Amino acid sequence: MSVEIHKKLAQAVVDGESEVAEALARQALEQGLEPLDCINEGLTKGIQHVGELFADGECYLPELVMSANAMKAALSVLEPAMLGGKQREIVGKVVLGTVQGDLHEIGKNLVGIMLTANGFQVIDIGANKSVSEFIKAIKENSATIVGASALLTTTMREQKKLIDAIKEAGLRDQVKVMVGGAPVNQDYAEQIGADGYAENAISAVNLAFRLVDAPR
Amino acid sequence: MIKLQERKASIQPIESKLKISILEDEEIKQINQNTRTVLEEVGVVFPSEKALKIFAEVGAKVDFDNQLVKIPAHLLNKYLATSPRNYTMAGRRPDLDVKVGDGTGTYFYCSGEAPKIVDFKTGERRLSVKQDTANHACIADYLPIISLLWPTVSSSDRGVTSPLHGLEACFNNTEKHVETESVMDQISARYAVEMATAIAGNEKNLRKRPILSQLLCCIAPLAQDRGGIEAAMIFAEYGIPVGFMSMPTLGLTAPPYPAGALTLAMAETLSGIMLTQIINPGVGNYISVNPGIIDPSTGNYFMGSGIAQITNVGGIQMAHSNGIPVLACHSFGGSQYKLGNWQAGYENFYSHFLAVMAGADMSFGPSGMYEAVSLLDHPRILFDREILRVIDDVTDGIEVNPKTLSFDMIKQIGHTGSYIGHKESAKAYRSIWPRESILYEDGTAEGRKWRDPVEVARETISWILENHKPVQLPEDVKQEIRRIVTTADQDEKLKKEIGGY
Repeated sequence: MSVEIHKKLAQAVVDGESEVAEALARQALEQGLEPLDCINEGLTKGIQHVGELFADGECYLPELVMSANAMKAALSVLEPAMLGGKQREIVGKVVLGTVQGDLHEIGKNLVGIMLTANGFQVIDIGANKSVSEFIKAIKENSATIVGASALLTTTMREQKKLIDAIKEAGLRDQVKVMVGGAPVNQDYAEQIGADGYAENAISAVNLAFRLVDAPR
Repeated sequence: MIKLQERKASIQPIESKLKISILEDEEIKQINQNTRTVLEEVGVVFPSEKALKIFAEVGAKVDFDNQLVKIPAHLLNKYLATSPRNYTMAGRRPDLDVKVGDGTGTYFYCSGEAPKIVDFKTGERRLSVKQDTANHACIADYLPIISLLWPTVSSSDRGVTSPLHGLEACFNNTEKHVETESVMDQISARYAVEMATAIAGNEKNLRKRPILSQLLCCIAPLAQDRGGIEAAMIFAEYGIPVGFMSMPTLGLTAPPYPAGALTLAMAETLSGIMLTQIINPGVGNYISVNPGIIDPSTGNYFMGSGIAQITNVGGIQMAHSNGIPVLACHSFGGSQYKLGNWQAGYENFYSHFLAVMAGADMSFGPSGMYEAVSLLDHPRILFDREILRVIDDVTDGIEVNPKTLSFDMIKQIGHTGSYIGHKESAKAYRSIWPRESILYEDGTAEGRKWRDPVEVARETISWILENHKPVQLPEDVKQEIRRIVTTADQDEKLKKEIGGY
């Protein structure tokens, strides 16, 4: 029975069916299945399969987002039911945001979706966020990576301010910093002391894996 | 990069939702009237005793001494009436048939008969040989955007029978319809008919499903080519479609004004069509108008120019107003541009964009040509294809219906949300994203980095030449075609007819 539901959960994620995934998660709990097993054997396998399809060019971002949403919907049911401080296995915790003065967040959102689909836990604090809001989120979530996006030449300097503030807060050893956005490039990232620059959502995932020293 | 996997030949015309008209009804009427007056008062030269006699027998005013035919309008109209608006240029399989004039859209040719080629391995420019024709036919067979083809380069290694060797190279390397524009004498025409009959099985099948057609260039102003018109009469007799192309060069071989040039073009092509209809009422025809201009400083000939291309599009309306299908004629490679020139991009785009929107039944298309169709470069065909892919997308226009108006989706997503994870976005991106492009390295997300398209195109052509295996003719048919071409090679009369020795 458990194997069957795990398979169905995985398929719901592959199909991007949020409502189905959520209903299956409830059904699993009603049947007394272990939530962590449902996550590891069902949802994670489903999202990994979609990730492989995406990497092979067999599906596109909309399908990936639908799958990520389906996984999120099922997790919202399963995670609260996990007992004894159990937690699902994650690759890393990432705080993501667009810097102060900048309202652009499409790119940042795609990075968040891709990281989620690849096993990272993403805390998206949104757009137009001050340095102090980033610092607060890093501390509260014990983040291992922070991703700061800037789409304007006038706001990219906020990325340097953030790195300086992280140092001042004594968090530089705890958190790796990755930066992105149209005006930013590798040279700039190095110049301001960031740990990495990603050109797009795909390379952001690769970068995040490198930063946490985890295998893909 | 285009998806490289072995597949059988297929064809894919482009249908346009967008329509344009260059000429208004009254203007079309004036040009048609002018054409008929020119045919009646000025006439067209037909340097063939056989053609002159045929015209005389049906009542045209024929001056045998000057080989001049003057055609009254009522006579012209009588014979044009039997020229079909719809007919089939057959492929070897019915799903490869070009259904001329049935409204399916614009079918694209791989044309040319260029004398030179950029050697694929060495990059050297040299005279083309039979194997080059075979290679390009194989490439054309693989690409669905190409519906029918000519021997794309001449077989300079085969002497005066090069046109027949070109046909053999095509028949052996594609299942698609093949057309000749270089079989320009009656002896070669009979050999070509024999080859086509061998493929069709018998004459009756050939008439029903002609695997071969002919395009004949008129001589501007107001004359026909002797060899060409005599070949056309043979082809028509066997039910093989014959297209007539006029090449008015504005201010040189035609009046400098498009209306006058179109008048000449119609007079030349319609008079030829009338002849084939007298011989075989109902045989397929088409009209092609290929205008050019000259550089007034040097006298250099140019196919690509705004005025020439708009004249070409006007020709589409003129042909249709006479009930005749049309081959739009601004070949990819028609300009003088050199390899890789930006001019190639914009001229190819707008000329074909106009032709598709004007409703051309067929159009010269991806061929891989440069320098006024005198030089073939295999990889160039993929750039031509890329331009047509964009035209195909653009001419789909915008679909407006309850689904595409998307009210429910707009309501559901609301404010500041994203449509990226919506089912409809997922479905739509399957069709709106150009999956088959030469601009990307491969189909994977991580591999999508820009590379020099020339490099990608070369790899693609290499793959096609190494891996695509066109469906072969039955061995006995192949042998029969070989026998016919060998016989032609040894035909002294043919050598005398073409080579004069």
